[in-house]
Amino acid sequence: MDAVAFLVPIALGLGATFAVLFLVAVRAGQFEDLDDPGERILHDD
Amino acid sequence: MSSAPALSACLHCGAALEGGGPYCCAGCQVASAIIAGAGLERYYAERTAFAPRPAPIAGLASLPTVPLPDGRAEVRLAVSGLRCASCVWLVERVLEATPGVVSARVSYGSGRARIVFEPGTVGVAEVAGRVAALGYPPRAASAAAPDGTDRDLLLRLGVAAFCAANVMLASISLYAGWFDGMEDRFSALFRWTTLLVATPAALWCAQPFWRGAWAGIHARLLPMDLPVALGIGVMYATGVVATVAGQHAYFDSLTMLVFLLLAGRVLEARGRRSAAEAAESLAAALPRVARRVVGQAIEVVPLSALRPGDRIEAGAGEELAADGVVEHGHGHVRMALLTGESEPVSVGPGGRVHAGAVVADGGLRIRVESVGGATLLDRMSEELRQAADRPATTGLPDQIAPWFTGATLVLASGTFFAWSARFGVFDAVGPTVAVLVVACPCALALAQPLAVASGLGAAARRGVLVRSGDALLRLGQVDTVILDKTGTITAGEPVVVSADDAVLRLAAGLERFSAHPVALAIVDAAVSRGIPLPEGVDVVETPGFGIDGLVDGAAVRIRSAGPGGVTVAWAEGSGLLHLVDAVRPDAARTVAALRAAGLAVEMCSGDHPEVALRVAAEVGITAVHAAVDPPGKRDRVASRRAAGATVLFAGDGLNDGLALAAADVGVAMGTGAASTMHVADAVVAERQIGPVLAAVRAGRATREVIRRNLTRSLLYNAAAVAAAAAGLVNPLVAALLMPLSSAMVVWGAAGVERRVAREERRWTR
Repeated sequence: MDAVAFLVPIALGLGATFAVLFLVAVRAGQFEDLDDPGERILHDD
Repeated sequence: MSSAPALSACLHCGAALEGGGPYCCAGCQVASAIIAGAGLERYYAERTAFAPRPAPIAGLASLPTVPLPDGRAEVRLAVSGLRCASCVWLVERVLEATPGVVSARVSYGSGRARIVFEPGTVGVAEVAGRVAALGYPPRAASAAAPDGTDRDLLLRLGVAAFCAANVMLASISLYAGWFDGMEDRFSALFRWTTLLVATPAALWCAQPFWRGAWAGIHARLLPMDLPVALGIGVMYATGVVATVAGQHAYFDSLTMLVFLLLAGRVLEARGRRSAAEAAESLAAALPRVARRVVGQAIEVVPLSALRPGDRIEAGAGEELAADGVVEHGHGHVRMALLTGESEPVSVGPGGRVHAGAVVADGGLRIRVESVGGATLLDRMSEELRQAADRPATTGLPDQIAPWFTGATLVLASGTFFAWSARFGVFDAVGPTVAVLVVACPCALALAQPLAVASGLGAAARRGVLVRSGDALLRLGQVDTVILDKTGTITAGEPVVVSADDAVLRLAAGLERFSAHPVALAIVDAAVSRGIPLPEGVDVVETPGFGIDGLVDGAAVRIRSAGPGGVTVAWAEGSGLLHLVDAVRPDAARTVAALRAAGLAVEMCSGDHPEVALRVAAEVGITAVHAAVDPPGKRDRVASRRAAGATVLFAGDGLNDGLALAAADVGVAMGTGAASTMHVADAVVAERQIGPVLAAVRAGRATREVIRRNLTRSLLYNAAAVAAAAAGLVNPLVAALLMPLSSAMVVWGAAGVERRVAREERRWTR
């Protein structure tokens, strides 16, 4: 059971990493246009 | 008719053809040549819809460009006519193959194009001209970039989701320990973990609610944000104390609540933004230019360079850029957008013309008298902008909020005093906190944004773009509908109403080479009847007079037969084509449905009484006001409102703008004047009037759903508060109760679409 003492911080750290990645993605405008890239892939040379 | 020629279809737009050439008109031929020139023939194999037929466009030279720091320039366009993803691909590739264009990005969803080019190599007129030549009319897009609030909300939502999920995990461990027993050091670890993770949710993610509550207090109001902020504040503050004291806290409820409320806001903002963007694209105006006469030459100048005293020329299809007096030339001008009159007016030397009028035929030389802000058009637009400043209405939840806040505080203090009188102050804290927590109106605050987002979507799917939640809610209260005639009940442009197929075929053979509105109508009629277009040769068009040429090797003459028709004459006979500003096909049905929904329907037109009465009789409207000037329309709307009615006014022209702004809800037709669309609450994006009905239905359904959701969540909250006051609620019970009430509201919001669809089915059956 003592393992949770470091497993919980590790889990939180992992989660926080993804939260930060999400933050970076939003700042980079990844969520501005959700429709076009899907269409575009059909045509790009 | 000649011996059965081979049938084919126009390679570009798909119109049926007789032998002849591969293209139906010069526009399609140019478009196809551009595509072939760029090596993009693949487009024809991959597209899923035929291309639009290109129409001539003037005024591209003065599209606003933005200089970039590296010497390049950028232009933002709103491109219409994008029918499939292949259109986007085509426009991008053709532009990128144009020398001087650095990059081109087109969005299929919003129809926005962003083009970067080298101003030294290529001009903006040429860049935009390529897009126009392909058949996609470009217009200036508003420069406004998407504002930061959407991004900000999304960030907060993402962080709130992270917090809620992790707090939930730790809380489940705590609850498990609660029942099965857990060592103190572990429960302390999990309790401090929940505090750590819940802190950003309460202090940063929930900021919009803190700000809303604070702004409300400042304005001496009690908005919905206040009880929400109160609940979050109490949960967090008691949670910190409980964590230090080694007791259970409400952090799981807190984070879930913040997440759900933010999700509601994000959904509402998205729905509103996409409707507003689409409406704005329709209203985006092409900057006007004029052809100025300088000595013997003619130069194209932007409107800003035009001065009173200048001479300008205008030909068929052009929109006049200034007010002035005709010096020479004869022709007809359509003033429909200004006055609502459907028939073109004949003008000659000495006649007065106004900016915004469109030349139907003929060529005019005009001495400019007033330009820019001094024109009738601009003065009317300015008047509109001032009339359109309307105070925001408060939603139902905001009306309840003060009572709700008051009741919560009374109940909480009642609980506190009752418990402390009986068991002492120390034991009274738990139930009091529980009351404040379960009273937190999560479901109540979610009820309106979710239903509004759902209602905006239901309306948009039916062709009407409602700009704000307020407007949608007002739509639900409308009991009187006043409709303009020209461009609203009717299409606003000539349509062939009766014609013999053989006559139509001959006429279309010549008219396919003309850009006159009548010519476009004739070709459209032939194409829609599936008549293959024959190929006219030696076609000569005489503005204001007619068109001559050879079809099947024989001479054909087309002459105007006064308003309402053209005569077509050939060697063996002659025939008449009737053209009128026809009633929209769905007008009668829509009027009947509006009436069946309990609304009073009136018509208010600037046109002549006899035309107005004929149209009214055709669609089944009995209350008709004809030959009404713009202030008259506004007064009609005002008098109905004074009589207690909630009025919807639908119109398309500048002459409707005042009435539109004076009505409770103004609906503009997407084919009408741009400044009218700017002051409207909703814009119809299709060439139909049915969406007006859809807007009313969506508004009603939204109101109903909000009302039902509010009732349910109030009952729910009342029950939960009673349980909390009795001391039956602890953090676990709260964590189970809260998401349940929110789920109920989310499910209810989806009911807007179901209700609108049910209304439609009931009517069509």
